[in-house]
Amino acid sequence: MQPARVNRSRRQFLKESALVSLSPLLPAFLARSVAAADAKPDDRVLVVIQLDGGNDGLNTVIPFADELYARYRKELRIKPHEVLKLDESVGLHPQMMPAKELFDAGRLAVVQGVGYPNPNRSHFESMAIWHHACVGSEDHDGIGWLGRTADTWVSPEASSSGSIYVGVEAPSVAVRGRRANVVSLENEADLMLAPAIEQMIPPSLKANNDLSAFVQRSIDQSYAAAKQFSGSAAVQAGGNDGYPASKLGQKLRLVSRLLKLDGNTRIYYVSQPGYDTHSAQTYPHAQLLREFSSALKAFMTDLQVSKLDDRVVVLAFSEFGRRVDENASGGTDHGAAGPVFLAGSPVRGGILNGHPSLSDLDVGDLKMQVDFRQVYATLLQNWLAVDSQTILKEQFKPFDCLRPS
Amino acid sequence: MSPWAPYKPTDAAPWNLERVVHLHHRAAFAATWAEVQRDLRDGSDVAVTRLLEGQARLEGVPESFESLATIIGQAAVDSGSAERLKAWWLYRCLFTPHPLQERLTLMWHNHFATSNLKVGDLRLMKRQNDIFRRHALSSFGDLLTAAIRDPALLNWLDAPANRKAHPNENLARELMELFTLGIGHYTEEDVKQSARALTGWTVRQGDFIEQPTAHDDGEKTILGRTGNWNGSDLLKTLLEQPAAAHRLASRLCLEFLGEHVVDDKALDELANGLRLNNLDIRWGVETILRSELFFSAPNLMSRVCDPVSFVVGPLRALEFWRHPPGTIVMADWLRRMDQDLFYPPNVGGWPGGRAWLSTRTILARSNFMAALVAGELSSPVHPPDLARLIANHSGDTAQTTGEKVRFLSQLLFGLTMDDSSPSVAEGEPLGSLLLRLLTGQFAYLH
Repeated sequence: MQPARVNRSRRQFLKESALVSLSPLLPAFLARSVAAADAKPDDRVLVVIQLDGGNDGLNTVIPFADELYARYRKELRIKPHEVLKLDESVGLHPQMMPAKELFDAGRLAVVQGVGYPNPNRSHFESMAIWHHACVGSEDHDGIGWLGRTADTWVSPEASSSGSIYVGVEAPSVAVRGRRANVVSLENEADLMLAPAIEQMIPPSLKANNDLSAFVQRSIDQSYAAAKQFSGSAAVQAGGNDGYPASKLGQKLRLVSRLLKLDGNTRIYYVSQPGYDTHSAQTYPHAQLLREFSSALKAFMTDLQVSKLDDRVVVLAFSEFGRRVDENASGGTDHGAAGPVFLAGSPVRGGILNGHPSLSDLDVGDLKMQVDFRQVYATLLQNWLAVDSQTILKEQFKPFDCLRPS
Repeated sequence: MSPWAPYKPTDAAPWNLERVVHLHHRAAFAATWAEVQRDLRDGSDVAVTRLLEGQARLEGVPESFESLATIIGQAAVDSGSAERLKAWWLYRCLFTPHPLQERLTLMWHNHFATSNLKVGDLRLMKRQNDIFRRHALSSFGDLLTAAIRDPALLNWLDAPANRKAHPNENLARELMELFTLGIGHYTEEDVKQSARALTGWTVRQGDFIEQPTAHDDGEKTILGRTGNWNGSDLLKTLLEQPAAAHRLASRLCLEFLGEHVVDDKALDELANGLRLNNLDIRWGVETILRSELFFSAPNLMSRVCDPVSFVVGPLRALEFWRHPPGTIVMADWLRRMDQDLFYPPNVGGWPGGRAWLSTRTILARSNFMAALVAGELSSPVHPPDLARLIANHSGDTAQTTGEKVRFLSQLLFGLTMDDSSPSVAEGEPLGSLLLRLLTGQFAYLH
């Protein structure tokens, strides 16, 4: 395990930033405020973006130079001159220009052919495998890999919200732990005070004892936090903060604002639904990829401007890729291995391995080259600094995707 | 003297408004002015008996409550909407003649914390909830047996995957760690062997069955006893452990007593009493509610109230049933306060106490009270008629704004001291004063 990386400029920034200077007031913006002392603003954060439905990886990271690609994808083929070339053989979908810019800046890594042995083509089962990080369905107990991670941070004295899930649906199994808490947020309104309360002069009453002092302090701090939050909302609403209006864009915008206010939470999780493209996928798939890459770019830019980028790694995955051969309805059916994206300045930007072969298929699907748990293992061990074997219940060979720190 | 000795009013601990309100806040969901006055008059013994017997509420209980609740519950299950099932439970909390039973049902929902997130079946969730209610005050053994031999908990804890030669330890572990003994009172080997004993307890077509072919009938040694144990033998063994009585005592004290009120010696004594009384929950609850300790000064206003109490209490005290609040809306507020009924955060349940309070949940609590005071919980919008409420109950004694605030803080918190009232400006609207009371620190404590 590596010691947490200390970044001088970040420290300096924390000291100077007016925003964070209020942080003693905000021991646990979203977490339980049982203990105030556990905020570690320098902690590393993992943000997961789940591409729901099975992303067509072959039309995301495109092996344009392989003639077999054109043969399998007669109708859905992206023409070589449209592909945003990453190297001589592969490139991104044309709607992914913002992701290409991240790539060019060395802040986006592409891992190709990520999957697991004996691929399961059921959305539910395959997602459960990625969430639990166990391939056997008998081990799917509703406790996910990030939930297990957050469980290791639970202690009787300290409290932190293990994870924050942004979305209207129930939090992903991935973040559910045995003991760790998941905060689920739908939108920013959850963090604002009703006008009637804002206008009210809060009755700051004398505390009789430790408990009432705690309650009074919690109320005062919460109101201060809400005012701060709505203040920052007003500032952001006034200017163009660069986030697209898409749902994913707004989710990541909220994640960024929480990151800036809440030093306690180390795992954020969002999802982007819609990738189950069985028919006429050309337009919807392009739209999804555009939303994904523009939201990701806006988020990464925001983090960079806020000097938070050395604290955050983004992982984007889908439960499976799609069949290599397109179907007769202008779509693609459930497949197996697919690409995983990692973003952030701590990430080793670039294409980290070769594209899976299009001639050596596993019943029509791309073969896995990297077990997703190898990527998890690296993120756990080298980013979140927890023992990956404990979390994954097996030793996986780390996949080298982070810059040496 | 034992802290569990029956409470007798003294000069230091008189039977006064504060203690009547305290009793109703802890054992029910607050009380109306008429109920408080009645219990003040009749004494603590009678007041506690009323709570235990389901006769605490004088008003605001529909005559045909049970049949209405049954219809609402069935319709909720049929609709497939979890929101409506949550609303059904809140309807029960608001209108039941037996609020202690609902409070205990909530306690058992937390003890055997089961989430519909995994169970995914409202019929099973409601069935489990009815078990908690039916056994709320029975013997703990009966409750435990009924709760475990039931599909919701079995599915939640992967019992169907626990088969001979393929044991799954989930149910066995939580049974020991959370439901009966607590960490430190069993070994990992006990978990493994218990999982074997539980093989064959599974769910078929939505019902509990014992499947002999899946049962491992070999010899097991559990907590030092060796035999060809099955699930029922295991439950019997667990219930006989002193640790089980201890855990039950802790659970009850956690529910009814404040922070640092009970010490180890008192806990041991209560646990012994529970053992002698066959783990009778009613005995335990009654012992606590009638005790000197329960009415002692350190126990007053000494715990953070849970969201359900926070939401239901003021609605009862302010006699909101004349313009009933929307229970679906209330359930959604509870979710924002981190008490999403039927969806506890994990198998450990809601941690409770100070952990209820975070920025987000405090904002939700304040915003809820703003909606309550504005009358937005009812449809059509109907703000509470505070002037009438105050005039009805205080006659001519509350004339000035200060006196009106004092009345409200007595009704809501049982407090007579001026400390409880925010400084008032003569002529400030009653609604705004009420909002200040309901969002202040006393609203968070009980």
